Amino acid sequence: MHVIVATDGSRQSLAAAKQLKAFADPAKITEISVVAVVRPLASVAFADDLSEKQGSWATGSFREAAQSALDTIAAVYDGWGPKVNKRIRSGSAANEIIKAAEQYDAGLVVVAAGGRGIGGSVLVGSTAQRVQHYAPCPVLVVRPKPKPKR
Amino acid sequence: MSDTATAQDRAEDDGGLKRSITGRLLFFYVLGDVLGSGIYVLIGSVAGEVGGAFWAAFAVGVTVAGFTGLAYAELATKYPQAAGASLYVNKAFGKKPLTFLTTVLYLSATFAAAGSLAAGFSQYVAEVWDAPPALLVMIAFIILLAVLNFIGITESVVANMVMTFVEVTGLVIVMIIGIIYVGQGKADFSVLTDFSTDDNIIFAIVAGVALSFFAMTGFENVANVAEETVDPHKNFPIALIGGMATAGVIYVLVSMAAALTVPVGTLADSDAALLEVVKAGILPLSVSVMTLVFAIIAMVAITNTTLVQVVTQSRILYGMAREDVVPGAFAKIHSSRRSPYVALVFSAVVVIGLVVVGDVLGRLGLNIDIVSRLASVTVALLLVVYAGVIVSCFKLRGSDESDQTFRAPSALLVVGLIGNIVLLGYVIATDPTSLIWCAGLVGLGGLLYVAEKLFGSEGTGAQAPDLDDPGTDPGTDTGTDTGAETDKGA
Repeated sequence: MHVIVATDGSRQSLAAAKQLKAFADPAKITEISVVAVVRPLASVAFADDLSEKQGSWATGSFREAAQSALDTIAAVYDGWGPKVNKRIRSGSAANEIIKAAEQYDAGLVVVAAGGRGIGGSVLVGSTAQRVQHYAPCPVLVVRPKPKPKR
Repeated sequence: MSDTATAQDRAEDDGGLKRSITGRLLFFYVLGDVLGSGIYVLIGSVAGEVGGAFWAAFAVGVTVAGFTGLAYAELATKYPQAAGASLYVNKAFGKKPLTFLTTVLYLSATFAAAGSLAAGFSQYVAEVWDAPPALLVMIAFIILLAVLNFIGITESVVANMVMTFVEVTGLVIVMIIGIIYVGQGKADFSVLTDFSTDDNIIFAIVAGVALSFFAMTGFENVANVAEETVDPHKNFPIALIGGMATAGVIYVLVSMAAALTVPVGTLADSDAALLEVVKAGILPLSVSVMTLVFAIIAMVAITNTTLVQVVTQSRILYGMAREDVVPGAFAKIHSSRRSPYVALVFSAVVVIGLVVVGDVLGRLGLNIDIVSRLASVTVALLLVVYAGVIVSCFKLRGSDESDQTFRAPSALLVVGLIGNIVLLGYVIATDPTSLIWCAGLVGLGGLLYVAEKLFGSEGTGAQAPDLDDPGTDPGTDTGTDTGAETDKGA
């Protein structure tokens, strides 16, 4: 089975990638495609919160940011078994993840469920929601843990 | 979902280099961005300055801007990244202070442009609904755009295309009115060669160009999507030149239509001059309905361009914060919307500050027209940036070139450079107070730099995460705790 692991450069997407590794049987996964979507018209086309490497205001390369996020996520599966591909796509995040799932004939899509609380639940149109609704295969939506009580 | 059922269509795979901005989208991006800024807002004051022949000012202005666009086209094919002018100047001179100055000038220009556009928006609102005070409308508009950007409406390529079509429709309505008027034989063509001043005609045109030049700006934001453009060496020159030429033709025809149908004095005195053309009652439709429709079209046009300005602002602030040039807060990204919320809030506050200052000064009796005041501030700042880009283009000749590089005709670049310098000189000479506003905005950029140097710490922008134990990182939420938990489960 081909599994798609989507990343938007957030820490939640890294957690989602680890979640897959935590329960899935690597012998049953033939290939993993880590997908990052650059959104050309968004105010920040791709934000990589995962790497220490700093972006450059004098370059403004969002492709580089996407690439470094892909590298970090792909490293999760180092030595796990399945072949890992890294793919940058361009456009609307949910659309591109769904298209990738169709194109690679994926058996599972792994996404992070955005933020916790008002931001994630009230504002409609989040990527995870749209992927759940329209993906051609099962979707693993990894939710953030509830806030620890202090 | 058996193990053997792997992806079949690997042949279709693009090797992970798929880009989504086609030549057509790029063309509409340029056209929409240029058309929204200015003609809806400024045509009245240009008409007043030049007289019936004000179409000539638009023609000359779009030519100077178009030649500058050639330099952008050449550089964007060489360096297809989002930073635009800052990147080009950095590549050409490699001097950090110069790069910083260029970035801040560009950022300041987008602030002033957004303020001018917000004021123009409020004037069209006033035409259809006279209840709310203008300042309130401006502030609400600026906040709304920040929210739209936060949610991510601007990401929609479709929305961008639709807004551009609406913009063009508005201007086509004006042209149709002009054609009908000419067809009725009422037009007096002598108005098109009529200059209001007794002075030198060239001087009148330069004055008009300086005033109307705001309407030519916006194309520089095309660098925003450079990295995601398909075949940039082919599409950038076509989209930039095609977009500017289309805008130029539309401007000239709209100016002529306006001059022929409405007395120049009426245009000059109107807050929303293109509405006067519609109000002339030439179309066989209810004037009040047409006025409403046209006002809405104008608001859409202004919104489209302002949205791009807001995107540019937050990108510049985000990029500078990532490099520890301004405080790291500007690099904060909302966890689910993936938007730079601090940068968006800050930008909105600055733009609101600009219109409030304009409004207060106006109340103090300084007779400030916020639209044209901030427009000329934008123009002054951008002319410096444009000149810098053309110089960088020459400086970078011979380096990083391949057969994929578009090469702009040098003679046209020289004309563009001279045009930019002449206009800059004119703006400064006739309107020295715009320098105070420019200095204020640029000073703000300097303040951010100082704030980062005094209070910022290395690496705040990039947040240098500890990926093995993300939950202990203060300052970010604990969303990645699931990773630790699953390790137990495994």
